[in-house]
Amino acid sequence: MSDTAATLTQDRQKLEMAALSAPAVIFTVAMIAFPVVYTIWLGFQTFSSTGKQSFAGLANYSRLVVDYEFWHGLWVTIALYVLSLALQIVFGVWLALVLFHAKRLPGIVRSLFISPFMMPPVVAGMMWLVILDPSLGAANYILQSFGLPPSDWLASPTWVIPTVALIDSWQWTPYVALIVLGGLQSLPPSVYEAAQIDGASPLKTFQRITLPLLLPTIVTAAILRSVDLLRFFDIIYITTQGGPGNASNTLNIYGFRVGFEFFNIGYASALMLTLTAIVFGAVLAFNRLRGAVAW
Amino acid sequence: MKARMLATHVALPVVAIAAVTVPSHAADFDWMKFKGKTVTFLANNNPVSQALLTYKADFEKLTGMTLKVDGYQEQQMRQRLVTVMNANSDEVDVFMTLPSREGEQFAAAGWYGDLTGVAKSEVAKEYDPNGLSQALLKAATFGGKLTSMPMNIEGPIFYYRTDIFKKCGLEAPKTIKDVEAAAEKLKTCDSGVTPFVSRGLKPAVAYTFSNMLHNIGGSYIANGKSNLCSAKGKEALDTYSRLLRDFGPPGVVNYSFQQISALYRSGRAAMSFESSNELRTVMEGGARLKDTGLLPFPAGEAGQVPTTIGWGMAISSHSKQPEAAWYFVQWATSPEVQKKMALQGIAPPRPSVAKDPEYRKWIEEEPVRKEWQAALDVLATKGSSEVGYPIVANPESREFIGQAVQDLILKQKTVEQACADADKALDALIAQK
Repeated sequence: MSDTAATLTQDRQKLEMAALSAPAVIFTVAMIAFPVVYTIWLGFQTFSSTGKQSFAGLANYSRLVVDYEFWHGLWVTIALYVLSLALQIVFGVWLALVLFHAKRLPGIVRSLFISPFMMPPVVAGMMWLVILDPSLGAANYILQSFGLPPSDWLASPTWVIPTVALIDSWQWTPYVALIVLGGLQSLPPSVYEAAQIDGASPLKTFQRITLPLLLPTIVTAAILRSVDLLRFFDIIYITTQGGPGNASNTLNIYGFRVGFEFFNIGYASALMLTLTAIVFGAVLAFNRLRGAVAW
Repeated sequence: MKARMLATHVALPVVAIAAVTVPSHAADFDWMKFKGKTVTFLANNNPVSQALLTYKADFEKLTGMTLKVDGYQEQQMRQRLVTVMNANSDEVDVFMTLPSREGEQFAAAGWYGDLTGVAKSEVAKEYDPNGLSQALLKAATFGGKLTSMPMNIEGPIFYYRTDIFKKCGLEAPKTIKDVEAAAEKLKTCDSGVTPFVSRGLKPAVAYTFSNMLHNIGGSYIANGKSNLCSAKGKEALDTYSRLLRDFGPPGVVNYSFQQISALYRSGRAAMSFESSNELRTVMEGGARLKDTGLLPFPAGEAGQVPTTIGWGMAISSHSKQPEAAWYFVQWATSPEVQKKMALQGIAPPRPSVAKDPEYRKWIEEEPVRKEWQAALDVLATKGSSEVGYPIVANPESREFIGQAVQDLILKQKTVEQACADADKALDALIAQK
């Protein structure tokens, strides 16, 4: 076959492949693009309490700047995000190390370690709501049986964010651990053999070898958890609905209430697009960090 | 302004109710008229719809229609409805609604089909629209249009432990002051129980707080402005929050009906102010059957003005088959079906059903049921359906009432600060068109 004929065949194959995959590509792009474009459009509309719609220009975004609830929601979202992510990364790495070194741990114990994140968040939320009930829950019973004072947990404006962060960390730390465990298993054994020959202590080995080599994996886990944590909704909605007062009113909860309880879909869209921009910002920042720590 | 208000709030409902109460039964009313059609019902998955849907097959057999049920929890049901109605979709024919909460809003948005005409002309002879609670029909009438038919009657009532009261030498409270005094005494007499529990969760507070406010003699609006900072408003805020803060369970700010019923049923609360609908849940297992007394909430300076509401069945204004949908609404709110539901503990919105011998027999079986029915009778005759502000943005107004109560329970503000902040936000809501 001549070169020209081969090129023509290749071009034809490419065209055929493009034609065959086009419907799926168009469908997927439309499914992603339509809701985004529609939400952007809604963000420029205003809806009265009776559902009457009119063009509002940038009014929803200028309202956002002076809306105390928005800034408060942003603060709660960030506080919850930072606290939860820190807990999940620290305990996730620790759990991964335990699972990596305890090779003789029975399968059932390993499964139990990672089971929380397989539980639907609504079920987890309901379960913790019962456990943390200040009057009827097991948590205060346990505290008091050790002579410790009871806590209001989710009913305390001071403790609600740490408590929600603990619930989310209980559920998602095993997920981080699984990712980190994958990273641990792929580390080159030769580096450890060299360290052993040099007489490095286990702590030094962890500090100087394991942690730096694991950083890209940890950053990947952080990116995945960041997206989820900034969109955090279900557990808060089940356990506190943003309360007490507005102490756990994240941007997501606030946007949901504005949209579906007060029917102002336009302002809710503006709120959610702002949150989306924040999520993108966080992901981009972590991506840069991942580039910096890659080896 | 006053004349206009009179026309809106009194004359137009009277006209609409008159339309219902003068039925001209179609002599040839045929339940099979829409045989083969499918009616979609958006239901709140609560005890009322659960009791109703027990008889779904009866409806399908009677009419030859298919009933497609789209059931969700209350909040999710509203989300679904908002989505469907904003899209002008005909996916839903009939939906459950709380006129006291969203009535003004949905009516202003044009989401309710007008039932005034069909309730007059398209009724089976056994339907008896006269027999439905006139107060609930009035509460479901907006701008002269009847928007839904009542499914049940309910309201917050006062549950108390007769055995603990007896042990502590207490009488059943007759006034709000008696409730406070009883709570104080119970705290020392039996430290193992929570003296008083009611709703503390922000969006849920208005349901019980409204009863307290009205009993004390307060009102939500005066001269077009929010009235929480009036003397009576402040007294109501102070009394309600103090009862929960000083005598309620820890964490009461997250309490709604689920937690309240669980606490009372487990024997760990001496007084509970919660919905009449919770009777079945509270009596589950039978532990509270013999030691519970029931009353309408004790009187304040304005006497007893209980909160009385009811779920209604409305037809979507976007339904392509409102006539067939009306047949379902009519069947579901008929005396026969409401009697069956009553025997499952759903308080009937028809006095005739409440007097039915079979229902009376069920009531007489347990003293607590007799007290429950007696309390409901007071609700039916004296009740007010005002839960939160009587404005289009009623759901949002409940948030600010709840916020003020929570601020006081958590001691984050003084009464003056809490009511002033709430009034400021609520005045803005009232001013909204």
